[in-house]
Amino acid sequence: MYGNSWDEDRAMDLLNQLEAILESDPLIDEVGFIHPSQFVTLCKEGGESGDSSEDDVLGPRNTKFWNRDHKLGISTEVLLPLCKAAKGAFMDAMKQYRTLNSLSNNKHEHENIMYGSLSRQSFDSEIMKHSRALLLLSCDFGTAWNSRKLVVSKKQQLAMLMDELLLSALVLSYSPKSEQAWSHRRWVIKMIAGKCSTMPEIITKESELVEKIAERSKMNYRAWNHRCWLVSYMTREQMLHELKKSRDWAGLHVADNSCFHYRRRLMLGILKNSCCKQECDDSSYDVENYQVVKEELDWNEVLIKRYVGREALWLHRRFLSQCSISHLTMNMHGISSQSEQKTSMDNEISIFMHNELCLLNSCSTIQDMEFEDFQAQAMYSAIYYLWLIKLIPQFRESEVQVKLKAGNLKTILHKTCPERSFLWDFLDLNGSL
Amino acid sequence: MGELAVEKHVEYILAVEKRKDSFESVVMDHLRLNGAYWGLTTLDLLGKLDTVNADEVISWIMKCQHESGGFAGNIGHDPHILYTVSAVQVLALFNKLDVLDIDKVATYITGLQNEDGSFSGDMWGEVDTRFSYIAICCLSILRRLDKINVEKAVNYIVSCKNLDGGFGCTPGGESHAGQIFCCVGALAITGSLHHVDKDLLGWWLCERQVKSGGLNGRPEKLPDVCYSWWVLSSLIMIDRVHWIDKGKLFKFILDCQDVENGGISDRPDDAVDVFHTYFGVAGLSLLEYPGLKAIDPAYALPVDVVNRIFFSADN
Repeated sequence: MYGNSWDEDRAMDLLNQLEAILESDPLIDEVGFIHPSQFVTLCKEGGESGDSSEDDVLGPRNTKFWNRDHKLGISTEVLLPLCKAAKGAFMDAMKQYRTLNSLSNNKHEHENIMYGSLSRQSFDSEIMKHSRALLLLSCDFGTAWNSRKLVVSKKQQLAMLMDELLLSALVLSYSPKSEQAWSHRRWVIKMIAGKCSTMPEIITKESELVEKIAERSKMNYRAWNHRCWLVSYMTREQMLHELKKSRDWAGLHVADNSCFHYRRRLMLGILKNSCCKQECDDSSYDVENYQVVKEELDWNEVLIKRYVGREALWLHRRFLSQCSISHLTMNMHGISSQSEQKTSMDNEISIFMHNELCLLNSCSTIQDMEFEDFQAQAMYSAIYYLWLIKLIPQFRESEVQVKLKAGNLKTILHKTCPERSFLWDFLDLNGSL
Repeated sequence: MGELAVEKHVEYILAVEKRKDSFESVVMDHLRLNGAYWGLTTLDLLGKLDTVNADEVISWIMKCQHESGGFAGNIGHDPHILYTVSAVQVLALFNKLDVLDIDKVATYITGLQNEDGSFSGDMWGEVDTRFSYIAICCLSILRRLDKINVEKAVNYIVSCKNLDGGFGCTPGGESHAGQIFCCVGALAITGSLHHVDKDLLGWWLCERQVKSGGLNGRPEKLPDVCYSWWVLSSLIMIDRVHWIDKGKLFKFILDCQDVENGGISDRPDDAVDVFHTYFGVAGLSLLEYPGLKAIDPAYALPVDVVNRIFFSADN
C-alpha cells in the first residue's frame, strides 16, 4: 500500500487548487457543492460557450472545481479530503502563529522589528488564506472565524473589514443559517461603526442581504435576528423607510413569522423613539405613530381574508391590537379632565372592538369542512378573540361576546381544536362564555 | 405506540463516537464537547453511563481547557462559554467536578459579563441570552453565583421579553422556544420567575403543539423532537405543563426512533443524530417515561446529579 501520505499529498494538492481559485477571483459571491454527475454537465456547458477562463488556473480537465461568472462549484467527491486538508493547514498555521506571538512577547522589542514584522506579515496571510478555504467547507468552525478577527483587528483597515463582509456573505450563500457567519458580520459592523461615516449605507445593504437570503431560506431565524439587530443602528426615518420597504415582501410571505416580527420590531422602535421625542413637546409624532399601527392593522385584515388560516397573520394581529388599545387608553388617561375628548376616545375604542367582532364573525364560520384552511381560520379567529378578552379588560367587561353568529366561542373551539386543553381551563375561569 | 428502544439507542451513541471519518463528523469536530454532553447525558438517563470509560473522557475534556479557564469544543480550538458549560455538565455527570480549578473556570465566566448585565459568548463579544443562561447555570453548579451581578443579569434577560410573553436573543429579538428555555431556566435558577407572565407565556408555548402531537419552536414551523425538551422544560418550570396533550407528544417522540439501528431524528422517518437522540430521551424523561431517570428542567442534568451537587454532605 502507498499509505496515507499519498492521499494527503493529493488532498494538499486539492487545497492548493482551491486557494488558487479564491486568490485569482476575489469577487466570487456564491459557492455550492455539486455532485460529480452534475459536474460533467456543467463543465461541458462551460466548454461549449467558448469562455474557458477557468482553464487558466485549473487546466481543461478539472472535474473537482468549477468557477465561472464569480460562482464556485466544488465536487462533493472531494469534500472530505479537502476539508481535512484545510483544517490541517489552518491548525498548523495557527500553531506557528501562536509560537511566534509567544516568542515576540519574550524577546526584546528591537530584535523583532526586522525579523518580526516580515515574518508576521507572511503568517498573517497564511492564516487568512487557510481560514478562508476552511470556512467555505466548514462554516461554523469558530476558531477560524476568530483567527480572522485577530488579524483584522490588528490592522484596523476599512478595506479588510469590508472583505470580511464579503467572505461572510459567501459562506452564507451556501449555509444561510450559519450562526458564526452572521455573528462575524456583527463584529465587523461594530468595528466599522466607530470609524466610518457610511454606516447608514452599510445598514441598508445589510438589510437587503437579509432579504435576499430570506428569499431562499424560509423562516431563517438567524437571518431575521440579524435584521432586527440592525434596527438599533437606525434613525426614525430609516425605520419608517424599512417598514415601507419590507411590506411587499411580507405580503408575499404571509407564513413567515420572522418577517412580521421584524415589522413589530420596527414599529416598537418608532413608538419608543417618539416617546423620547415627546418629552421635547412634539405631539405630532403621536398621531403619526398611531397611523402607522392603524395602517398595519387594516392591511393585516386584508391579508387575513386573502390568505385563509395563517397563524403568523393572526399572531401579528394580537400585537397590533395590543398597541392600538394601549395607545387609545394611554391617551384617555392624559385627557381625563376634558370630557369631549374622552368621549371621542371611548368612541374610538368601541369602534375598534366592533371591528374585531365583525372580523371574528366573518372568519369563524366554517364555509367548508373539507378544507383544513377554513377550520384553521375559525380556530385562529376564536383564539384571537379569547386572547383579546384575556389581555384587554374592555373586552371582558363588554357584552359584545354574546353576539356571535357561529354560536359561542366554546362551540367554535370545541369544533376546531379539541386537543388544546389550556383553552378550556381559561374558558372555565371566565365561566360566562 | 411502540416502546423506547433503549438498547438500540445505547449502541447507537457508543457507535457514533467511533465513526470519525465521515464528512459530517469532520465538520462537527469543533463542537465535540457539546456532542459528549448530549451522548453521555442520554446514556445516564438510560441508566448506562457505566458503559463508557470515565477516565478517558475526563482526561480528554481537561485537554480542551484553555489557559483562560474556558473550554474549547475540542483540543486546540478557541474557548467559548458554549463548550465550557458542556465540560462542567459532563464532569458533574461523572461526579468529577473536583478535577477542576473551580475559581479559574468561574473567573473565565465572570469576565464575560457586560456592563448591562448581559453575557458575551467569548472574548469577541457576541451577546445572546443563551450565554446568560449558560453563565448562570455553570456558576450555580460551581457554587460561584455570587461572583457575578445577578440582579443586572436578571434585568437584562427581562429586557429581552416580548409582548407575546416569550423571549429572544437580545432586546427586540423574536421569541423562540430555545431562547425561552434559556431565559426561563436562568430566571428559575436565580429565583426570579416572578418576572414571567406565566399564563401568557404558557399560552404561547402550548400553541407550539401541532396536530401530529409534536412541538415546534416558532409559529408556522414544522414540529421537531428537540422542542420536546425546550418547550416542555419551560412549561414545567412555569407550572403549565398540564396545558398540552402529553399522550400525543409521547407518540410523536417514539415515532421518531430508528428502532432498527437506534437513534432519534427530528421528525418521523428522517435521519437520526445524537442531538435529537438526547432531546427525545430528555423529553420522554420530562414526561416521566417508565424506566428513565428524571431530568432537571433548569439544569438539564439528571435530578440525582443535581441533588448530589447541592445536597451532598461535603458541601
